[in-house]
Amino acid sequence: MKTLAVVVTTPPYSHLTISALTYVEAALVAGINVIGVFFYQDGAMHANKDISIASDEYQAIEHWQRLNKEYQLPLHICITAAEKRGIACDSIDNDQVNEAFTVSGLGELVELTTKAARLVQF
Amino acid sequence: MTSSYTQEKNDLPPSNGLAIINSKAPFSSNHGKDALDVALIFGSFEQKVSLFFQGDGVYQLIANQDARLVSIKDYLKTFSAFEFYDIEDIYVCQQSLVNRQLEEKFHIGDVQVLSSIEFGLALNRHQHVLRF
Repeated sequence: MKTLAVVVTTPPYSHLTISALTYVEAALVAGINVIGVFFYQDGAMHANKDISIASDEYQAIEHWQRLNKEYQLPLHICITAAEKRGIACDSIDNDQVNEAFTVSGLGELVELTTKAARLVQF
Repeated sequence: MTSSYTQEKNDLPPSNGLAIINSKAPFSSNHGKDALDVALIFGSFEQKVSLFFQGDGVYQLIANQDARLVSIKDYLKTFSAFEFYDIEDIYVCQQSLVNRQLEEKFHIGDVQVLSSIEFGLALNRHQHVLRF
């Protein structure tokens, strides 16, 4: 089984994020086992519930949520990167974190990298 | 690419581990620190990681810099801890140093200065690459 892990370092309003989403969805449709997406640096902003992008623009966060739901695609955010960007991760109910995302640390990136045959960064 | 390069490539050990490319200057953004955090985590999980410095990233290795002068936490000091994390393969692109008129004087030891071709070949030995 081909395994793929993806690292996203671009914010939800970046056009490069669209490339990441298109790539990941194409991989999933092709039957590749995408073992997880790790959101680092500005990528962590995807998990912020309070981000609002104009409705006529590309809704990156909604698309990640959709892939998470349809394919059970694991979405991990780096806690340090998230907290630095104002996303409160320490509350018990993770109020500000979008429920499609799992609050993780860089250890998760090590895990994904060692398990995946390929690692692709956006 | 000529056959001699291909031959050289074939003689190298099989690809393994993670290569981290540092391509940004140290104090204008968080990229250097973010890359360092990834390197140290891989080191502490006993995963093989090599560091590559290229473009403005070479400034991260230059000796006698003091981040405190610009009120930044001096993450470059942590580079001296690499040996404790078994991070031994540190490569810098010679052409990037030449282009910036920088001498090969670094604030850590065991930095290998590589030509563009050697740099590319060293990178090619790794299974995974992250760029910051």
